[in-house]
Amino acid sequence: MATKSEIWRVLTDPLVRQNPVTLQILGICSALAVTTTLATAVTMSISLTVVLTLAAGLISTIRRHIPETVRLIVQIVIVASLVIVIDQLLKAYFAEVSRALSVYVGLITTNCLVLGRTEAYARHHAPVPAMIDAFGNGLGYSLVLVLIGALRELFGKGELFGYEMLPLADAGGWFEPLSLMLLAPSAFFLLGFLVWAVRSWRPEQVEAPDYTPPGRAEAAE
Amino acid sequence: MIRGLWTRETVALLTVAALMPLALFWIWFGGSAAVFRLALVLLVIAIWQLVFMLSRAQPPSLSLLVTALAIAMLAPEGLSVFQFVLGISFGVVIGELIFGGWGRNVVNPGTVALAFLGFGFPAAPWPVFDTPLAWAAIPAAGLGLVIGVMPSALVLAGLAVGAIVATFGLVSDPVLFAAGIVFVLLVCDPVTSAATTLGGWVQGATYGALVVLFGGAWSGAAPPQIAVAAALLSSLAAPLFDDIALRLWVHRRRRRYGRS
Repeated sequence: MATKSEIWRVLTDPLVRQNPVTLQILGICSALAVTTTLATAVTMSISLTVVLTLAAGLISTIRRHIPETVRLIVQIVIVASLVIVIDQLLKAYFAEVSRALSVYVGLITTNCLVLGRTEAYARHHAPVPAMIDAFGNGLGYSLVLVLIGALRELFGKGELFGYEMLPLADAGGWFEPLSLMLLAPSAFFLLGFLVWAVRSWRPEQVEAPDYTPPGRAEAAE
Repeated sequence: MIRGLWTRETVALLTVAALMPLALFWIWFGGSAAVFRLALVLLVIAIWQLVFMLSRAQPPSLSLLVTALAIAMLAPEGLSVFQFVLGISFGVVIGELIFGGWGRNVVNPGTVALAFLGFGFPAAPWPVFDTPLAWAAIPAAGLGLVIGVMPSALVLAGLAVGAIVATFGLVSDPVLFAAGIVFVLLVCDPVTSAATTLGGWVQGATYGALVVLFGGAWSGAAPPQIAVAAALLSSLAAPLFDDIALRLWVHRRRRRYGRS
């Protein structure tokens, strides 16, 4: 059994050092689509973390019985069943948030993050470490989503969780909302800035250049 | 690129010289408000160039004059100073400086800033251009063509498409005028326009076609907004046109001379 420090490492690595969104650029689609408000971002994060953790546990439990050739189908069936449960729960108890999230809860099934973790980790490890790894990755994803969701809602509407933070100019305050923040491009920009910031803070995450320009024939200035 | 007299700064200065007819007419009509606007934009861009010079050792460039003129002339009016500065900073940093400065950018920083301001603050009214100002775009394009800082194929294609559009009356006059000014200021940028002859013709035609399309089908858009959106899309497509032109050339050469 793994030691305590190793478990701690598996849990905390995906937060920044191996963050699934900013380093591996996985799960971008939902990270861009559901972050217009903090409430949807938090709901999405919780759904994904729960699905990911349970799926990793289940797949890891039956990992010796899954035939190699059909493993992707088996994994998707397990993930999809969990997603349906979550989706129905959201529809039953949080109808409004569920409407705002529209298809993106259903699309957790095809989220590259979920398949990536089950395929890369849960298939080769015992249930407990697999679930810890999945939970850590879910937390890493949630961290990015909550950060971007908070920024977009704060600067797009001047609110957080629907409560007014910055008084709007229309209502006698001083803040002019940036309506671009509520459109999809701003999520790309913010995610790009975030990746830039993380990689300047930890330069070891910077990828090697794909292409080095040929040497310069003429003298530089 | 350094060939004798031709350095990056020569190109920037000659572009400024080519744009003089447009700039002087605009300042003549705009008065002190225009000068103040231009000064503000210049200041913001200069500060960002300074920041990137200190942090990344990127030499500052006189191309800031071209960018500043484009932004000051075309940006929506009635923005607060904060919004204006935010838009300029976004365009200059994301459009140009993070790529390594002028000469390495993919899209014109002015186009990026204007698109950001247009989509970010849709309530702000866009400027309206006087007719003489639009006519001044033609000598500016001619000067750029003769001096050699604007790609000749692109300028000729733009003039040809403009003439066709004007003859058949495909778009309304304000859209045509705005499209002409934007063409000279943003599309005919020596860095981000198509570099091959065929690419230049195709890019000019694409720009014209997009202006006609947006002018006809985009209801509720101001003329400069239509032109800026067309400029953004056509300059994003320019590297693609260049690549296709180069591949065609290689293909033709191979057919004529066998495997090269």
